[in-house]
Amino acid sequence: MKLRILLADDHEIVRRGLRALLEKREGWEVCGEANDGREAVEKALQLKPDVVIVDIGMPNLNGLDTTRQLLQHDPQFKVIVLTITDSDQVIREALDAGARGFVLKSDAARDLVSAVEALQNKRMFFTPRVNDLVLAGFLEKGHALSRNEAPKLPTLTAREREITQLLAEGNSSKEVACLLNLSTKTVETHRSNIMRKLSFHSIRDLVVYAIKNNLIQIELPPSPPKAPAGPAVA
Amino acid sequence: MTIRILLVDDHPIVRQGLKTLLEGRDGWEVIGEASDGAEAVEKAKDLHPDVMVLDVTMPKMNGLEACRVLRRQAPQLEILFVTQHDSPQMMREAIEAGARGYVVKSNAARDLLAAVEAVSQHRAFTALNGRDAAGLR
Repeated sequence: MKLRILLADDHEIVRRGLRALLEKREGWEVCGEANDGREAVEKALQLKPDVVIVDIGMPNLNGLDTTRQLLQHDPQFKVIVLTITDSDQVIREALDAGARGFVLKSDAARDLVSAVEALQNKRMFFTPRVNDLVLAGFLEKGHALSRNEAPKLPTLTAREREITQLLAEGNSSKEVACLLNLSTKTVETHRSNIMRKLSFHSIRDLVVYAIKNNLIQIELPPSPPKAPAGPAVA
Repeated sequence: MTIRILLVDDHPIVRQGLKTLLEGRDGWEVIGEASDGAEAVEKAKDLHPDVMVLDVTMPKMNGLEACRVLRRQAPQLEILFVTQHDSPQMMREAIEAGARGYVVKSNAARDLLAAVEAVSQHRAFTALNGRDAAGLR
């Protein structure tokens, strides 16, 4: 029987690359693709894949909340999180969300097949950096070891995080309501609760919070060169 | 028409995705890959590609710097940026650095083939997300 994999990444070109990599393996099949987290949840429920691979930085619903929603629906889902960063905070959140694999996008060509194999054999797979953190007692010490830990803020519910991401992505309350099949009034209530819980007064505060907490990710321009470019070649 | 392409991106998975897309076209050949700007400059010297598909944000030497060097080193080479940066400022910088084309990564599956075809014929192809900016050049 084939191992069925669902791919969720907002870049089609990345999905193509992942598909080409995974389908080289005999007996593995990419049974579906999703362009964002919400679509990933829908397709996973419909297709029942053996493994779901989710990018963290997806629009509408990020990969961490996608993982949480998938496991709420069915704790048997096996999720590998793909990420561009291995910061302590992202690793901790991926583990908390219930991911059983954690692979850096830059290392995916090397590690992803091993990660899927591990999950297939009912094991977990994490990049060496995660193993280092676990060994350091990161989890046992109540997540207290992270030096760069963000200041403690009240916890948002899953729905509030979802709405925070959508608002931070520039959607109006009405648009959020439409996306989530809620009334605008309900979204406005959630929005007020979020702002009150976090003691925020502007959407700008919310955007900064969403970036700091990996609900959304931004691409920074490249750093300027430290020295003048090399000598001209004829 | 034969087009020889050099792919430059620091993520092997992205290169793989671009390669499967490009090699679907008859006569188009990915003759090499590089994972940073410095390697791209070196490989361009050896392989003489017609088109370079170049990322902006990369280690060692970013795509803009590489583009400036290549403009002097290989004036006949056409450079097409494929990047995450959906920004008119970045696109302007890329064109000023000497690129002939600019495509946003999230639209690469839609725009890449048309862009490579255009730049290989020395025509500009620049498009941001939902905005056609072909008139920039």
